[in-house]
Amino acid sequence: MIEFDEQQQRMVLKLVYYGPALSGKTTNLLTLHDQLTLDGRGDLMMLDTTEDRTIYFDLLPFFYVAPSGMKIKLKVYTVPGQVRHDATRKAVLQRADGVVFVADSHAAQMSVNFESFDNLEKNLALVGLSFEQLPLVVQFNKRDLPDIVAENEIRSAWGPTGLPVIMASALKGWGVVETFREVLRLTFDAVNSRHGLTERYGVEREFFLAEILKVQQ
Amino acid sequence: MNSDNPQVTFIVGEERCLSRIISRAEIEPLLRSLVKAGPVRAAVLDEERLPLCSQGDDRPLEQLREIRHPLLVEGEPQGMLVIAVDPETCSSAEALALLARDALQLTITNNLKRMLTTEMHTTIVQESYDQLVETNQQLVESERRYRELATLLERKVEERTAELKKAYSRMLQQEKLAAVGGLAAGMAHEINNPNGFVRSNLVTLNRYVERMKEMLNLYQLLIARNAPLLQLREETEQRRRALKLEFVVSDSTALLEQSVEGTDRIARIVADLKAFSHVDETGDCDADLNGELERIIAVLTPQIPPETAILRDLQPLPLFGCNPGMLSQAFFNIIQNAIQSRDNGLKINISTARENNDIVITVADNGCGIPELNLTRVFEPFFTTREVGRGTGMGLTVAREIIRNAEGNIEIDSREGFGTTVTIRLPHKQITTDRTTHE
Repeated sequence: MIEFDEQQQRMVLKLVYYGPALSGKTTNLLTLHDQLTLDGRGDLMMLDTTEDRTIYFDLLPFFYVAPSGMKIKLKVYTVPGQVRHDATRKAVLQRADGVVFVADSHAAQMSVNFESFDNLEKNLALVGLSFEQLPLVVQFNKRDLPDIVAENEIRSAWGPTGLPVIMASALKGWGVVETFREVLRLTFDAVNSRHGLTERYGVEREFFLAEILKVQQ
Repeated sequence: MNSDNPQVTFIVGEERCLSRIISRAEIEPLLRSLVKAGPVRAAVLDEERLPLCSQGDDRPLEQLREIRHPLLVEGEPQGMLVIAVDPETCSSAEALALLARDALQLTITNNLKRMLTTEMHTTIVQESYDQLVETNQQLVESERRYRELATLLERKVEERTAELKKAYSRMLQQEKLAAVGGLAAGMAHEINNPNGFVRSNLVTLNRYVERMKEMLNLYQLLIARNAPLLQLREETEQRRRALKLEFVVSDSTALLEQSVEGTDRIARIVADLKAFSHVDETGDCDADLNGELERIIAVLTPQIPPETAILRDLQPLPLFGCNPGMLSQAFFNIIQNAIQSRDNGLKINISTARENNDIVITVADNGCGIPELNLTRVFEPFFTTREVGRGTGMGLTVAREIIRNAEGNIEIDSREGFGTTVTIRLPHKQITTDRTTHE
């Protein structure tokens, strides 16, 4: 959590889209930006890139104000996937409240996915976050492409982890909002159990989700 | 040192207020231009609704119209652009306000991006620096360990070298003992032989002495009795013959001469052996190499196969400064090899000569020779073609070491089935400068 000011009734949460290079993390954010209504969110801010590759991060902010006046700001980040930007990944991961791991479905990318996942596990430990307790959703992206690993294979490989696994094509625009909904739900539950969002501040999960996930007309 | 450096820690996502993103100096020119274009006043309020910057006059608001546009930070309204216009004079107020808002908004977003980029960059640089410092410390540490290891290794090498030196001198000692031991069997025979006949001569002489005593007693008895001369002559003559004293006396002389010769032989053998082993000597002195060679041949005599021809061509040599015990061991090993190279019809040529400032010793035999394949290996420690128990494989190794220590060199030329020639070349040196005073 970035910030929680009880007097000001203001909470700032952080979600991070993690994953190997070119798995489509920025595309996820662009799709959310396009599909979700402008009402209740800011613009997508993309920091410097080289040859269209993220080198720092992208940021998409969301806002929710509960009937009680409690304000929740949600900052959604991507990390650079390239191995050499590990320091940046670590910095972005600090104080994250939830993580989406965007994996590349291409058959040749499986080992890269595992490497990146290992890297996530290692970096979470380095920034003092618990891998077991942190809300984490796995998205297998690029399902629209040929030469991808079959869904049942993915499910049997990742099933034992107990993590929610969602199939998506960020480019085609499907699976993205579902992924976001899942990580939001888990994150809300986690924060709620720690800070009593519903009980103490009257923030209802379904309203919160519905408000943030309002699709553009 | 680096721990004193204040470390700046940025949290990605930390909330920022408008007043920290944009400064009065950045806003002022815009507001000034805006006021020139028509509006009476223009102001930017920060997150606390306090004016960050304002331009224009403070005409009362009643006559004016106010246009307000929120300024967003990460999509969240944090500040406000407030423009007051006189509706009479300014018709394009709305458009101007939007233009100003967009310009401000762009500056805010760009500033924010720059700040985030800078912070991220600083964080990465900081981390890289920390990593460098850490890597450097590890390197220093590992360098220290390697240096320690190197020192340790040096000490170990020194220790091992000392051990090796000790082992080497032990090996020389053992080689010497082995040689002397090997000689002992032959020597025992050489000594036993004269010893045997000396003893048997002594036994015979003892019997002769008894007879002489008997003869003397008879003389004494007859004289004491005052026996007449005739009787004395007759009785003594009779006893003399009975005791065969004629023969006894002449044989005694022969036995004594033989015995003296026998003990001389023993003395010579012991002297040779003693001289060969150099038990009394330590360290270097001037040695007569021809004498050493002669002694070696003498002590090896029992091992020489019958009907062997040993030809010596020993040119006069100057005294040679060396460790004679060591050097004689080397010669011994080489000559012994020659002796063992053939069972009958063996011919050995041993020659010494001076060549320029070198002393050259050659030992040539017409023995079995060394196969070409083995020629490069004969100096290797423990290399032997003899059956187990017959050779240590150290003979030539030791010989070469000794000769190298004397700054000389050894060469072997051999043809299988034809014989072997060993040439030793020693650079001449002498310990005492004047030979005559030494003698």
